[in-house]
Amino acid sequence: MANISVRSEAEVVDAVREARERRRTLETVGAGTKRAFGRPIQCDDVLDVSGLRGIVSYQPEELLLTALPGTPVTEINELLSANGQRLGFEPGDWGPLLGVKASAGTIGGAISADVCGPAAVRYGRARDHLLGYRAVNGFGEAYKAGGKVVKNVTGFDLPKLMCGAFGTLGVLTEVTLRVFPKPSLSRVFMVAAEPREGLALLRKVWSSPLEATGLGYSDGMALIRLEGEEQPLSEKAALLGTIGVFTEVDDVRFQEIANGTQFANQSDDVLLLSLPPANAAEIVPDIGASSWCADHAGGTLWIGTNQPVHEIAARYGGRARLLRAPEATRANATVFPPEDPARLALTRGVKAAFDPLGIFNSGRMYEGI
Amino acid sequence: MELASPDPAILARRTEIVAGLKALVPDGVVSDRAGLAAFDGDALTARRQAALVCVLPRTKEQVSAVLKFASDNAVPIVPRGAGTSLSGGALPRADGILLGLSRMNRILEIDFENRCVVAEPGVTNLAITRAVEGQGFYYAPDPSSQIACTIGGNVAENSGGLHCLKYGLTTNNLLGVEFVTIDGNFLRLGGKCGSVGGFDLLGIVAGSEGLLGIVTEATVRILPKPPVTRTLLAAFRSVPAAGQCVADIIAGGIVPAAMEFMDRRCIEAVEAYSAPGYPRGVEGVLLIDADGIKAEVDDAIARMAVIARNCGAEVREASDEAERMRLWAGRKAAFPAMGRLAPDMLCMDGTIPRRMLPSVLARMAEMSEEYQLGFCNVFHAGDGNLHPLIIFDVMKPGELERAEHFGADILKLCVEVGGVLTGEHGVGVEKRDLMPTMFSESDLAQQQRLKCAFDGAGLLNPGKVFPTLSACVEQGHMHVKGGRMPFANLPRF
Repeated sequence: MANISVRSEAEVVDAVREARERRRTLETVGAGTKRAFGRPIQCDDVLDVSGLRGIVSYQPEELLLTALPGTPVTEINELLSANGQRLGFEPGDWGPLLGVKASAGTIGGAISADVCGPAAVRYGRARDHLLGYRAVNGFGEAYKAGGKVVKNVTGFDLPKLMCGAFGTLGVLTEVTLRVFPKPSLSRVFMVAAEPREGLALLRKVWSSPLEATGLGYSDGMALIRLEGEEQPLSEKAALLGTIGVFTEVDDVRFQEIANGTQFANQSDDVLLLSLPPANAAEIVPDIGASSWCADHAGGTLWIGTNQPVHEIAARYGGRARLLRAPEATRANATVFPPEDPARLALTRGVKAAFDPLGIFNSGRMYEGI
Repeated sequence: MELASPDPAILARRTEIVAGLKALVPDGVVSDRAGLAAFDGDALTARRQAALVCVLPRTKEQVSAVLKFASDNAVPIVPRGAGTSLSGGALPRADGILLGLSRMNRILEIDFENRCVVAEPGVTNLAITRAVEGQGFYYAPDPSSQIACTIGGNVAENSGGLHCLKYGLTTNNLLGVEFVTIDGNFLRLGGKCGSVGGFDLLGIVAGSEGLLGIVTEATVRILPKPPVTRTLLAAFRSVPAAGQCVADIIAGGIVPAAMEFMDRRCIEAVEAYSAPGYPRGVEGVLLIDADGIKAEVDDAIARMAVIARNCGAEVREASDEAERMRLWAGRKAAFPAMGRLAPDMLCMDGTIPRRMLPSVLARMAEMSEEYQLGFCNVFHAGDGNLHPLIIFDVMKPGELERAEHFGADILKLCVEVGGVLTGEHGVGVEKRDLMPTMFSESDLAQQQRLKCAFDGAGLLNPGKVFPTLSACVEQGHMHVKGGRMPFANLPRF
């Protein structure tokens, strides 16, 4: 097994063309922090893209940023923060959860694994933020998709497809992301509540004009993050007071939810479940969770369990991903939500349209995909 | 741009095809000449073409049956919502079935607990808001045709509107669809939980301009209505000053609900048309909305007013709701106001990086001189989406061609400065032949391979979006005939 390090798109093209000719498969790796998420794969060679690193362009007033995919998320966060901005999908850091170091994950990895944090409840997931990209496909061709402006409908929206595709459709070589102003102040409010009551309260705030940027539930507490300038934020806090009685706490709680911190030192499998928020309170007792927490007003549940859940998730209108489990479990269990035959056929067709020879991370998501 | 000539083999089978469709949708087949004339185009008004036959299903089972029929008989399908596409997305084909979805107009479910509405494709955009506003909610994307345009069409075109900068396009407010493939199979993509898990096929369907399949049900996110909206009018003596103001507002961390720019020509035309009370003798105005809770709106309005004044603007606020509505009515009257100055008009739709605004506007003014044609600029300033309106008279020899060249040059300029061909109207037939100015052969080939994964026979809305395609069977070796002279014969309004 060779480790091929690339430092430019041209080198990615060369590596892919060679893999094509020699009929070898490639596992694309950035910082390698999420290799334990997904079905275990055995590729012939590793394509190390961590050398594709750096900010290509950033003009704060354009509300977008172009970076090479191997750029650490922390580096992007620092640059944006220095300019009063942030990534709207606020990706968490899954390093410690997956047993590797913290703060190393790359932006390409966050996009490819669809990593979202608390602010996604207001600004949307990774898919809503990738405006354009460059990549090398399984034909060994470099190409671009989307654009470098915030509003664009020219051609198919391929950037959506690259989000959450786990590198199975090609190798990203450049990404353009939307960014958002970061309000100067942030306050987190908390109230102790039973799950049903606490989740209902979160949905009430979600349906109010408060534009909350965090709606979580953890450890018997409903958590609400409000942001803004000083005076408006005080009014928001006062309005929140008409919905319930809260105490103010430390902001770090939302970061802990986004990072899955409470599961880092547990041995159970960890599931990430997306579902209609109003079903969150219903599914929890049904799913046999040893521990759990919620983000996005209940639209995302983190669940520690050792039971298969895809069927239960489907019954509640949700979709589950097995975020952490031993390799043997991931080899046998269904990591990603099972697709019905029609959708699986289309998924295979889409894979073949980008990577007909199955060069990239094949089998990471589904058999042969 | 030339449309492909109709397939004589299909034309020869017309009687048989009409009979086949009547068996599937007994009360919904339009085949007489007068009936078909009512469906012979969309809002790209200069282009007209009667369909081979039009079918108007009432149920998703009928949609599936029609698609299977088209697939089995190798007849092209052109989907249509309300026919409001500005890019010719719903332009029929002489050898194609026009699949009109306007009869499927029921709202299937309103789910306030999960903040979503499930609707059939023929439900109008505004009807979704009407259905939930009593409870204090609304559906955010608001294309200006929202009273007529359908949610199915919005999904197909990934429609925008005035409020995209803050609230996103259709795709960002779409949670799921039920979708029928060309062979008649149903797929559910996304749902009330959004599109998560496997490949984001929902994300690909949004904005696919009817090339991948037919949406028979859409689940969209609704938002709590902001309690307060205030409107500022800022008048500038120079265009660069207005551009600077936009940049400073964004850099100041404010995301206005809407921020519209109108240039001097546009202001004059609108004042002459409906006198909304814009200041005269200025080079441009910005019309800016802030919405949200009161203190936040007050704060944003105060800060934006200071920023605008620092950029040399004369700033005033709409004093009451009536004046606010009047100022916005003026902006929305830009099309008819310009339309009064000449018999014909072309509306472009490029997006540019905002910082390029002053130089692009200056270059467009030069082009206007070169082409000897009037034009004006309205502009979604927040997201850099330009709508230059070119006025001309199709009866004057050479003017249509000059207008088309002028329009194509504007879009090429948008691409040159780092922008895109279309921000919200779609490619359709209108910008099809300009695609190679933005995308290379390998860029286009990748998009077309995706098309092949959904519709290998190329029966869904052929002739739209892409310049000439070769067959899907050679996947991987597809050749795009790019580089043809764009806009050779394309009539526009």
